[in-house]
Amino acid sequence: MEILQPDLYLPKSAEIIDVTEENSQIKTYILSFIDKEFNDSFAPQPGQFVLLSVPHYGEAPISFSSTPDENGRFHLSVRKAGKLTSALHAMEKGDIVGLRGPYGRPFPMEQFEGKNLLFVAGGIGLAPLCPVINSSLQNGADRCVTLLYGSRTPSDIAFKADIDKWRQHENVTCLLTVDSSEEGWQGEVGLVTGLFGKCSYDPDDTLAIICGPPMMIRAVFAELERQGFSDDNIITTMERHMKCGVGICRHCHMDEKLVCKDGPVFTLSELKKLDVMELRS
Amino acid sequence: MVLIMTNKYILKKDHLVPLLRQLGKEYQLVAPLENKHGDTLFTHIDNLDNCRVDLENQPQNSLKQFFFPQQEVLFRYRNQPGVSYEFEPAKSREDAVLYLGVRPCDLSAILYMDVVFLKDFKDPYYQKRRNNSVLVGLNCNTPFDNCFCNGTKSGPFIDYGFDLQLTDLGKYFLVESDRSRGEDILEKLHQFFELATEDDVKDQYQAYLESRGRFKRQVHVDLAMKNLAEGYVADGVWTELSERCQDCGGCAYICPTCVCFSIYDQQQSATEGERIRCWDACTFSGFTRMAGGHNPVDSSIRAIEQRFRHKLQFDVKKHGRPSCVGCGRCVEMCFGGTDIIRFINMACCEGM
Repeated sequence: MEILQPDLYLPKSAEIIDVTEENSQIKTYILSFIDKEFNDSFAPQPGQFVLLSVPHYGEAPISFSSTPDENGRFHLSVRKAGKLTSALHAMEKGDIVGLRGPYGRPFPMEQFEGKNLLFVAGGIGLAPLCPVINSSLQNGADRCVTLLYGSRTPSDIAFKADIDKWRQHENVTCLLTVDSSEEGWQGEVGLVTGLFGKCSYDPDDTLAIICGPPMMIRAVFAELERQGFSDDNIITTMERHMKCGVGICRHCHMDEKLVCKDGPVFTLSELKKLDVMELRS
Repeated sequence: MVLIMTNKYILKKDHLVPLLRQLGKEYQLVAPLENKHGDTLFTHIDNLDNCRVDLENQPQNSLKQFFFPQQEVLFRYRNQPGVSYEFEPAKSREDAVLYLGVRPCDLSAILYMDVVFLKDFKDPYYQKRRNNSVLVGLNCNTPFDNCFCNGTKSGPFIDYGFDLQLTDLGKYFLVESDRSRGEDILEKLHQFFELATEDDVKDQYQAYLESRGRFKRQVHVDLAMKNLAEGYVADGVWTELSERCQDCGGCAYICPTCVCFSIYDQQQSATEGERIRCWDACTFSGFTRMAGGHNPVDSSIRAIEQRFRHKLQFDVKKHGRPSCVGCGRCVEMCFGGTDIIRFINMACCEGM
C-alpha cells in the first residue's frame, strides 16, 4: 500500500504564539509553523492568503496581515463571521491550527516602490493592507502615505496599535471615521468617502489600494474615478468563498476568473472587463 | 492481401473476452456492464465469466467517478488541543486500472479533467488514479438519441488521447494505439492481434463518415459559443432557465466534465476526524455564499449563467474548446427543461 503525498491539500501545523484582540469581532493571531525548517522557508507576500484549518471545521481563506518578522512569525487577522471563525476565536495561545499556502496573486509591490500611496479600508479590510503599509514605510521615506479607514463604531476600530505606529511617521496621514458615534468620540462620523475631502494627494501620481465591504468598494471606486485616478492605479483585493485555493474547485468564480488563482488582487481595469458583483450598481 | 503499412491491428470479436482475461491479470478491469436491471454502467469487473460487457449502449455514468469519486477522504486529522493537530495522508490502494469502451465524449472529458487537475497545481489524488489508468477507447458508429459530440467536436470518432482504441468494423474490431501504454499491450499480447490491412482502415473511415450522418439532433454549439462570446445572449435566457431549474444538481453530477467540489471535515470523535472532498454544483445557492451570509452570486439566474458560460465561453477562451463534450447525459437527466441543449438552442436564437 502506497502512502499518497497529498501536499496540495495537506495542511502544516502552526502554533498560535499569541493573540491580540483588535475589537470584539476581530482577533489577530501570531503564528509560526511547528516545522522550523518549513517556517524558515515560508515567504508569503502581501496580498496572498492561506487556507486555515480549525479542527472539525474545515478550512477558510485568510489573508496575511503581516509578512514574517525576524523570527519567522506572521499574522492572520480574523473576523468572527461563521462557525469556523467562531471556533478559532475560542482558541488560545498555544493552540494549534493547520495552514496551507501561501496562495494567490500578491499586491504588485514593485509597482508601489517610491510611489505615493492612498489606502482606503473598511473594517477587517485593513488586514491585508497592513503588510503593504508597513513595507511602504520601510522603503522610501519621502513618499506620501495616506490611510482612510472606516469602522462601524469607535470601539470597532481595529489595528489601533498599527495605526498609532504609522502615525509616528511624518509622511503618513491616517484619517479615521465611524458610521455611528459613541460617547467620547471626537473624530469623524460618516462614510469613508467623506474623508477624501480632508486630505490631499495628486491623483496622477498616487496609487490607490482598497479593501473593504462591497458597498464601500463600489463607493470608493466611483469617488476615485471622479477624482481622475486611472483604472490601472486603483487596486483592490477581493473576498470570495473558497475551498481548494488553487483554481480547481471553482467556489470563488468571478465571471471568467477565479479569485484564488487570478486574484485576489485585481486592478480596477481588470475588474471592469468582468461582470463583478462589487461593481454592479 | 494488400501490403500493410499501418500501425493498426485487428482484434477478432470472440478474442475480446480472452484478451480481457489476460489483461485482468495485470489490471483491474472497468467496462460498461449491463446489470440485472438492464442498466448499462461503467462497473468494476469482478468475474469476467459472470458479467455482460455491453459495448452497444451508452453507459449511464461517465468515468468521472473513477478518477474523481463522488466522495473521498483526503486525509485524517488528530487534534489534541494545545498539544498537537496532525494530518495523516490517506492511504491509497489503487492498482492499475484498464477502462474498456471509453467513447470519444468520455475520453474527451478525461482529457479535460487532466487540464483542470494537473495543469497548474497537481491534484495528487487525481494524478495517482490517472497515472494508473489505461484507457481503451471505442469509437461510436451510431450516436445515441441525445448525442451531439459532432457539435462539441469531441466525437463520434477520436484519434488522440487513448492508450488503445477499438472501432467496430462488424466482423472484428480495428485496434489503434496513441500512447506507449497501448503500444506495450499490443506488443506484449501480440498473439491476440493481427495486422490490419489498408481495406480495414478504409472501412474505419467509411464507418466514421456514416456515423457522422446518424446524429438525430443538430445542436449548433459553435453558434451558441459565438453568441455568448459576442454578448448576444439576453438576460431573458438566463431568467427563463433559472425559472425552470429545479436546483437538483443532477446535471452537474451526471456531467463528465463538471468537477466542482467542496471540502469539509467529518468529525469522528473529540480528537479525530477526516477531511472529505465531495462533488458540488455551481448552481447551488450555497456554492458561493461566504461566512456571514453574503453571496456574490446573488440569484439562481446568475448561478445558471455561470454554469453555461463556464462550459461554453470561459473554457473556450482559456483552453480553446468548450468543456461540454456532447454526451447528452444531462438531457436525459434534467426534468426541469434546463439542460445544455435547451440552452444552446435558446442561445442560437439570439443575435439573429
